[in-house]
Amino acid sequence: MGEVIVSMKNIVKTFPGVKALDNVNFQLCSGEVMALLGENGAGKSTLMKILSGVYTRDGGTMTIFGKEYDALTPKKAQEVGVAIIHQELNMCRHLSVAENMFLGREKVRGITLRNSEMEAEASRILGDLKIDIDPRQTVGDLPVSKQQMVEIAKALSVHAKVLIMDEPTSSLTAKEIDELFRIIRKLKADGCGIVYISHRLEELAAIVDRVTIMRDGQYITDGNFADMTMDQIIANMVGREIKEQFPRVSCPKGKKIFEVKNLNAGKLVRDINFSLYEGEIVGFAGLMGAGRTETTRAIFGADPKTSGQILLDGEEVKINCPMDAIKAGIVLAPEDRKKDGLCTKLSIRQNLALPNLDLICNGLGVINSGKEDTLCEEAVKNLLIKTPSVEINAANLSGGNQQKVVVGKWLARNSRVVIFDEPTRGIDVGAKVEIYNLMNKLKKEGIAVMFVSSEMPEVLGIADRVIVMCDGRITGEVMAQETTQNEVLKYATEFEKKQAGFEI
Amino acid sequence: MNEKKQSTMKRLLGTRGMGAVLTAFAGLIIIYIAFGLIDRNVFSGQNVMNLLRSMSKYLLIGVGQSYLLITGNIDLSIGSMVGMSAMISATLMTMGIHPVAAMMVAMACCLICGVVNGILVGKFKLPPFIATLGTMFVTRGAAYMVNNNRNTDAIATGIGKEAGDSFQNFFYYGKTLGIFNTFWIALILFLVFFFLLSKTRTGRHIYAIGSNVDAAKLSGVNVVYTTIKAYLVSAVCSCVVGFILCAQAGMGNMEAGNMYEMYGVAAGVIGGISPLGGTGLLLGTFAGAAVWQTLENGLNMIGAQVGIQRLVIGIIVVFSVLLDVVVRSGSFGKKAAQ
Repeated sequence: MGEVIVSMKNIVKTFPGVKALDNVNFQLCSGEVMALLGENGAGKSTLMKILSGVYTRDGGTMTIFGKEYDALTPKKAQEVGVAIIHQELNMCRHLSVAENMFLGREKVRGITLRNSEMEAEASRILGDLKIDIDPRQTVGDLPVSKQQMVEIAKALSVHAKVLIMDEPTSSLTAKEIDELFRIIRKLKADGCGIVYISHRLEELAAIVDRVTIMRDGQYITDGNFADMTMDQIIANMVGREIKEQFPRVSCPKGKKIFEVKNLNAGKLVRDINFSLYEGEIVGFAGLMGAGRTETTRAIFGADPKTSGQILLDGEEVKINCPMDAIKAGIVLAPEDRKKDGLCTKLSIRQNLALPNLDLICNGLGVINSGKEDTLCEEAVKNLLIKTPSVEINAANLSGGNQQKVVVGKWLARNSRVVIFDEPTRGIDVGAKVEIYNLMNKLKKEGIAVMFVSSEMPEVLGIADRVIVMCDGRITGEVMAQETTQNEVLKYATEFEKKQAGFEI
Repeated sequence: MNEKKQSTMKRLLGTRGMGAVLTAFAGLIIIYIAFGLIDRNVFSGQNVMNLLRSMSKYLLIGVGQSYLLITGNIDLSIGSMVGMSAMISATLMTMGIHPVAAMMVAMACCLICGVVNGILVGKFKLPPFIATLGTMFVTRGAAYMVNNNRNTDAIATGIGKEAGDSFQNFFYYGKTLGIFNTFWIALILFLVFFFLLSKTRTGRHIYAIGSNVDAAKLSGVNVVYTTIKAYLVSAVCSCVVGFILCAQAGMGNMEAGNMYEMYGVAAGVIGGISPLGGTGLLLGTFAGAAVWQTLENGLNMIGAQVGIQRLVIGIIVVFSVLLDVVVRSGSFGKKAAQ
């Protein structure tokens, strides 16, 4: 291991009303990948934002490359050699790759920009990383995974020796993650220190050397990754033993509730047939872009379908728009909570009431606030939504609690089929278990649960039956307790013959 | 050499937003020819000269407003700044002060306005619509107060006759190389601001903060300064348009420039500048201003009434944006299919 390049001691940061960081210590050496772990709200991102100059600290010392710094700005941090890749992609999507990479430090001759020079250098950096992107391409036209690569290239173009990655893999496919890991290993070999923040604990083994664990704004422990067991890590993160990471509830499989026949909608939903039964959770596995989200949207009526039948209790229901689906009792907790699931600027109360206004309004469309209160109280109580009041904005909740609000919107309606699309993305271990418990609860109540997830362990751990999709088709169906990850993966990569050539 | 030329050409056509610009120019040609077929006088040299002169105002206003639209903001105070500039310069000239000095005072006032707008929006994060709504009323109020709530007398009378005449000549009535000075002034300013936006660091930052202000800030872009610079551009443009209106009327009119900020939005939007920020080319604004003026001019020539003119222009604005939306959603559909 190399020498210590970043040392943060007794860092304190207070936001109005919250002590975000309380005497936190952190050390990073050159040539290592340090995983910074903790639940949401543990202060990981805040700590890293202080290191990269986005926030200023209220107390403590910060030494980078042996020099002590008082306050940094993002620009100053860049000059020192600290670069951060933020959790939310931070690109100007209207500008080109090269323009983004050089934003804020453009090369100029006199007052004129030297575009070709910047493009050449961008091209060289991308080439070094073996990333195949044209620097003149507009960033907004690139897929998210490529945008992520551009962010990394941008961070490196400032000759960063300390690279902070905040949830870099949350939107990448398995293949792209391998690509990212290849780049991380290369940087490590070049002597960079890398801070890696991720909720996907299973991917740590592939790259991480050391871990630092935080909880509730406090430093808990650090150590070599190899010396710790996963159980120890999780226990330190959540501060309590999690008995079961994937609590499974068994209950007898009942009658068929829901059936989809020959559903077609665009290229990613082709001839989909499946059924859901009472008392079971059906997992949908597959790679990113396999068409699972598209299938859920087509069922829910959010996207138009070209053909196909949807049957509820043996009777066909016509679904042309989400309202049809909701009325029939088929509801969707969409993939992107903040974008599709919630009105983040509205209160929890308004969010919970939104799809149920028909139930709580009188004939003239005036909201009965008594009924609204009852509805909200029940949702908060049943789903254990942790919030001081239902009047606060949905944006201010943690990811797990936001997800509960999304689900809570639907539970007042006696829904028959609940579709979860990536319900645990970006939420921490403890909250994940609560979401699993929620799904189990629905399952016990006889509601059909469709559970789309890209995290293989949770699909196999929670679902009873797993349907695997690839390329918009269903390529396999397995019982969760009798299968292996490899078998699911085999189905998930069963591309059509004529396409196989393009895929690899 | 030829190859290099070709690649430059290709690159130019491949510039983001060039499609909308070409569409606007195509629209311009169609509109112009259509009016010309109805009334041959539209094609006359005299009319072309007048057209160029009248579009100059819209071009300048459009350039100013486009800078703000690209940053994702708006400047509602443009029209009032035009009025203030016209009133201040006219009042001072009627008092016998040299036009250059009068113009400098007017320009200084407009620049202060621009800085205030920029600070309110960039530093204090006021919604630009509200901040510039405020300065809009303040500057219009100032325009009224300059000459005690009255329009000024003619600027080219009495002791200032000679200076006033030369001012009017320089900004409106005179010609250079056979084309009205007004157009030359607008063209030069257009080229300067075109260069600033497309070739300099400031221009790049203007696009960046319009595209994603957080990303720009985290990349080390000074958002406050950049916002102020954008508002200064619209202040400069408005001020010069004030001089033009003052020269045209030969006096200061308190209501000069009324609604011009919206003409600026229209010119930009017709030329493909997104009011949501981040995209658009000033060439489009040029086309937009020309489309606007050609419509106004053509409808005038064929004897349409003001009501009809407004109505047609309104439809064109909505239609051009609608076209953009349809084309864009079409191209998105194609991408999904790939």
